[in-house]
Amino acid sequence: MPDLEDLTPAMKAAIGREGPPVIHEVTAPGIRTFARALGYTNPVYFDARAARAKWHRDLLSPPGFFGMPVYAPDVRSDSDSLAFAPEFSRTLNGGNEVEPIAEICAGDILEARTRVTDISLRASKLGQMMIVLQETTFTRQGTDEVVARARKTSLRY
Amino acid sequence: MTQFTWDEVAEGQEIALVEEMSTQRLVIWAAAVADYYQIHYDESIAIANDLPGIIVHGALKGMLVGRLLDEFVGEQGRIVRWGVAYRGMDRARVPITVWGKVTRKYEDGGRALLDLNVGVRQQDDTTETTPGTATVELPRK
Repeated sequence: MPDLEDLTPAMKAAIGREGPPVIHEVTAPGIRTFARALGYTNPVYFDARAARAKWHRDLLSPPGFFGMPVYAPDVRSDSDSLAFAPEFSRTLNGGNEVEPIAEICAGDILEARTRVTDISLRASKLGQMMIVLQETTFTRQGTDEVVARARKTSLRY
Repeated sequence: MTQFTWDEVAEGQEIALVEEMSTQRLVIWAAAVADYYQIHYDESIAIANDLPGIIVHGALKGMLVGRLLDEFVGEQGRIVRWGVAYRGMDRARVPITVWGKVTRKYEDGGRALLDLNVGVRQQDDTTETTPGTATVELPRK
């Protein structure tokens, strides 16, 4: 179990760093699965015609859904992106914040840019924890139009 | 769906959803967001990670708060932001209550806004596992 007195140089260097942009595809099946898991019943999240009848461009994405990152076997996963702290092997999600800005619909392709905004250490019931704050900005691919911002707290222990 | 207007909402007003949390639902959520961390569907791996058993994904609770707000603001309203902290674990197979309470009603730059406290608790427990806050905009009368 880690027992660090202070952040390691690798942790300090990670603060402020932005990872490479990740492409997110917003697909109709993706929207429906997200909406189904959450128990939505509003047809604008399931039926493209119902969405267009309400003046949306296509099937509407529920708040908080930014499509799926494009999976590639050689690309590191989100938890691997915290590899600057090998002292901590386990991860819990500590919190989420969402700022919806513009409508997101099926067919949209987004670019997600994630930056580590802070890292700190804290004692917890599970032993010492490293708390990592990250902010992701989603833009429409090929434009500067910001469609949403999301902040996440990762707890590593 | 009922469309609330800002004028008819009062500070102190409460909204809530009660949601079942079956392991099947957690698997649908895992697929929806490509989060395949085994502590959310494999009991033995959850226990090996010092957890009491399969636990509900934090983000599932956070996004259920998003649904609560989305259904509250309706077609003509808008969520400005919401955020929650996952302070406690919710065990799978126990229903949860997702709630919000209006704490402030105000206007800012011509927008009719409400601030809310939000949270999640398990049916058999009064512990607030997922406290947070939100700001929404509603249409005027």
